[in-house]
Amino acid sequence: MEPTLVVLAYSSAAAAIGGLGATPLLIRERLPVTAIGWSNALAAGLMLGVAYGLMVLGLERIPLPGAFGALMGILFVHWTRAVSGTAELDLNRLDETPPEYGYQVLLVNALHSAAEGVAIGVAMTVSLPFGAFTALAIAVHNVPEGTVLSAIVTARGVRLPHAAGLAIAAKVSQVLLAIVTFALVTAAPGLFPWALGFAAGAMVHLVLVDLMPECYKQAGSTSIALVTLVAMGIVVFLVGGGVVR
Amino acid sequence: MSQVFVVFAYGLLTALATGLGALPFLFVRGVSLGVVARANAVASGLMLGVSFGLVAEATQYGSWQTVAGAGCGVLFVLVTQVALRRHNLEFGRIRGVGAQRMLLMLVVMTVHSFAEGVAVGVSFGGGMTLAVVIVAAIAVHNIPEGLAISAVLRPRGASVVECAWWSIASSLPQPLMAVPAFLLVEAFAPALPYGIGFAAGAMVFMVFVELLPEAYEQARRPNVALLVSVTMLTMLMFQQYL
Repeated sequence: MEPTLVVLAYSSAAAAIGGLGATPLLIRERLPVTAIGWSNALAAGLMLGVAYGLMVLGLERIPLPGAFGALMGILFVHWTRAVSGTAELDLNRLDETPPEYGYQVLLVNALHSAAEGVAIGVAMTVSLPFGAFTALAIAVHNVPEGTVLSAIVTARGVRLPHAAGLAIAAKVSQVLLAIVTFALVTAAPGLFPWALGFAAGAMVHLVLVDLMPECYKQAGSTSIALVTLVAMGIVVFLVGGGVVR
Repeated sequence: MSQVFVVFAYGLLTALATGLGALPFLFVRGVSLGVVARANAVASGLMLGVSFGLVAEATQYGSWQTVAGAGCGVLFVLVTQVALRRHNLEFGRIRGVGAQRMLLMLVVMTVHSFAEGVAVGVSFGGGMTLAVVIVAAIAVHNIPEGLAISAVLRPRGASVVECAWWSIASSLPQPLMAVPAFLLVEAFAPALPYGIGFAAGAMVFMVFVELLPEAYEQARRPNVALLVSVTMLTMLMFQQYL
């Protein structure tokens, strides 16, 4: 199969799986806040694991362009949030939300998944197994993120099937950026360390700015830290064991 | 015998370097909640950076062993937390939650020095040729660890001298472990991934369970996130190029 189509297939599947995140709401119309907290922590741990995987990937040391790329990734997230007025948005509000809250949450989600798309795209340029593994890790992480988003939009009166659709739609930027990154890095291999660093830096920063501050408000810090570390540990183990290269 | 002494002396030197980490706090005045939060964020970034580097190293010896070690590290911090909560602690003039956090930080960083000491000894066991380079590298790496410790102690009321002293004390296990590891490389080398995994697991857990939650409570979220991620990146580069 044409490599670009492979990237399209994997990243689309990863985005589509995010829709599964709505299923817990079939059972309970309103999720307990601690469950939302653990979902966030699970997503955070998986993202940190993927960022780790990108950083240690067969490289002796991080090259300088990789470090600059990482700094760009961090600043990209920081600035896009600042200029869109969402820097200090409380992302998981369920009650008494202002009208503009809905689009702000979707915007933040779209920016969030864009960085993950870069990660999938750049991982695909390394090798198909590593790319598929990264897409899988991101796909699994899309489920708890889909749960959190569904919980927010259903609380605003959106029907559940539509919420599942929104959870997938918010991930469209993941597919787009995966393909663009893959095409760019394939065409200009010199971009590889930059894209790799960008993805890793942006994901670590997203964990710190989007996910962790919310988790700590939703569940106790011990359970949050445990969920985060276990999720991260699984990915680190799989990467470190050379299961995927 | 003289080689044993050299290894010990070098190990001691690296421990003393940790005290240098307290020096930046000569210039930080005021002990406010905002300073605590920012110092927590810096310490978090430093510890995450160190841990990522350590895990990358340990998994080369064995992935299972690293993860098993990390699991024990997490358990160790949990048990220590419970033990510290049971007692009404004092740390110098400081009491209560602040004292608990300071002590937990010292325990975690001291335990992590054991693993580092073994790493020093094992690397010496490979021959004395690279020794000076390795010692210099470890000494330099210890400075930010002293910075992380001081970042937790200083804003809660410890003096700069106390910060320097505790930083050095937390590194003393390094020379103590370096000597037996040097003499018994074959026996200690297989323990290395467990030990490094343990150190990394304990430090990362400490960051997520104590330092970050407190930082988010006291400072604005974009600032905390930016401090942590930029410090972490700087630490990773520092480790690799110095």
